[in-house]
Amino acid sequence: MRVLLVEDEHDIQAFLRRSLEEAGYQVDIASDGKTAERLAVETTHDILIVDLGLPDQDGISLILKLRKIGIDAPVLILSARRSVDDRVRGLEQGGDDYLTKPFALAELLARLRNLLKRNSPQSNETTKIKVLDLELDLLRREAIRSGEPLQLTPQEFVLLEYLCRNAGRVVTRSMILEQVWGMRIQPDTNVVDVHIYRLRGKVDGKGQHPMIRTLRGVGYVLKDR
Amino acid sequence: MSSKTAKPVMHSAAWRISLWATLAYACGTMLVFLSLHQFVENDIQRRSDAWLAGEVEVLGDVAARTPKDALYGTVVGEVAELASKEVPNKMRSESSANDSVFFLQVGSDGGTRLWAGRGRVEPYLAAIRKIVIIPDHPSDLQVEGLQIPFRVAALRMGDGSRIYLGLSERDQLRVLRNLNLRFFFVWALLVLLGFAIVFYTTKRMLSYVREISEAASRIGHSEMNARVPTNVRNDEVGHLARTLNGMLDRIENSMHQLHTITDALAHDLRSPLTAIRGKLEMSLSAATHGEQAEPIVSAIDELDRLTEFLNASLDVAEARADALRLSRSEIDLDELLRVMIDLYEPSMSEKGLQVRLHSGGDISIDADAALIHRMIANLFDNELKHLPASCTVTLHLESRDGVAVLSLEDDGPGFAPEVSASLFERRVKGKDSSGHGLGLAFVDAVVRAHGGTVTATNREARGARIELTLPLVPARVM
Repeated sequence: MRVLLVEDEHDIQAFLRRSLEEAGYQVDIASDGKTAERLAVETTHDILIVDLGLPDQDGISLILKLRKIGIDAPVLILSARRSVDDRVRGLEQGGDDYLTKPFALAELLARLRNLLKRNSPQSNETTKIKVLDLELDLLRREAIRSGEPLQLTPQEFVLLEYLCRNAGRVVTRSMILEQVWGMRIQPDTNVVDVHIYRLRGKVDGKGQHPMIRTLRGVGYVLKDR
Repeated sequence: MSSKTAKPVMHSAAWRISLWATLAYACGTMLVFLSLHQFVENDIQRRSDAWLAGEVEVLGDVAARTPKDALYGTVVGEVAELASKEVPNKMRSESSANDSVFFLQVGSDGGTRLWAGRGRVEPYLAAIRKIVIIPDHPSDLQVEGLQIPFRVAALRMGDGSRIYLGLSERDQLRVLRNLNLRFFFVWALLVLLGFAIVFYTTKRMLSYVREISEAASRIGHSEMNARVPTNVRNDEVGHLARTLNGMLDRIENSMHQLHTITDALAHDLRSPLTAIRGKLEMSLSAATHGEQAEPIVSAIDELDRLTEFLNASLDVAEARADALRLSRSEIDLDELLRVMIDLYEPSMSEKGLQVRLHSGGDISIDADAALIHRMIANLFDNELKHLPASCTVTLHLESRDGVAVLSLEDDGPGFAPEVSASLFERRVKGKDSSGHGLGLAFVDAVVRAHGGTVTATNREARGARIELTLPLVPARVM
């Protein structure tokens, strides 16, 4: 997977390049809009990461320009603005995504994955998910761990489903809030942790291998190994 | 908007203005017609009086010269008959009989010498005796049994007898009645026409004023770049529109500057924050021991709190300046509250708190979803942080007079007296509060940016109560 990172801050460039490469991406870097246009034409990229505040032009104009010359790779917009303006919303409806700075790396990677998945044809809609000895029946909304059915509330099931779909990968609290509760909020209380804590009590019963792991300062991961 | 234009026309300013203008106009034209009527009436009177005076002279002359024999009555009667043919304002009468003129000669003894007229002489005689008629000054004579009065001229003869010539006022009245009828029709037509013209022009002008005010009310709530419509005419209303637009240009300009400043500030702070957070995460993944990870984790937590604080302060600052950018969509508050309760309930019950919702069903507002979500989360966070165990939070949601009313009540200790006067100010927090003091200021900012209100009070019994209102989706205001 080849990604074009358009970002003018060197510090951010550096750590993004490192973490993207660690995640297995090939990274091209442009520090301004001109370079970005040149690189985008020269090489085919699977995905673009574009910062809105570029020194020579507005990030949105750049995206629209690239779209006009036939580059249709999905774009993850990085915005330092608080409110999302209507043009970003328009791009979001067109299949792109945005992330406000500062962000968690895990969230950036998750959004990249989602964008790539969205643009590749979906083969078959799964009705069952299996992670180790945990099985989820998405139609009957039932979860089974080691042959034992789990007594989950509907909300807990949705939460577990989200963790299972991202098994082995870190999910942050804000990702959980957005995906499970549909809200982009940042509560300064431990609301998500309590949900995870309760879910863990049901999924990781006594004597069982603990699956839901907390990565302090980052988020959670459902272990698949 | 359609509900506004559908209001009855009788309540419009155009209707009232037209009514008053028409009233003044109707009174004016009525006065003109009345004086015209008076003039015509006098003129008719003058003509018939002149005719009477002339004719009675002629008749007196004829009566004096005609020998008083058997033919006297016939000759004078003939002359009187002929005179009646030349009556002024004469209308064509159906009967050939002369009923508009009478001639009467009364002897010096008071007896009838000659009578040429319709019907019996006695009532005429009786009526004449009742009044005094000065020669050359014809007077009105009301004869008993007849509806229409006569105009009568008198002449004293040399032999002491008097002759009277009477002219019925019937024709005169008929002319006046015709005139009145025509006057009335023309007057009514003029008044109606005047009303229509005034109503049409004021309505046109006021509908333009309404367009301006509707456009102006939309501006600021959603679209700062919109302008009120201007017309080509250089009249007062056109001037008002242009002045308004000039003012909006200046407001938009200063708002734009505020946005530039806050955006630059946000950008300048966020870029280093992003870099710091990224580096912290990198070193966290490299840290293998728990002791190494702990300070990094808490640094990330602090950083996230700082970010949230930065967001909230800039939002509050912009909202205070009425410059918060809203990206509106329809939000069902009932559904949102249920999701929020679902999210917060475990944390609350963990702390021994209960939460209850009394909702009046689907209540939709037209609002910025991200801000409303954060605002409600703020309210819940507030309760979660400040309430001691075993308290209950009760939420009421209802729609009342076109607004959604959401109240949050708890039975906790209530607001501390030292802060309760300035709850919605920035950086105000209780002595023992651990928050950054922006929570309620943010709530207030968001609600006000949406055109709503917030009040926070201590309940009479125990605990705090926060009530906020938000305008409903316009289509549901009925």
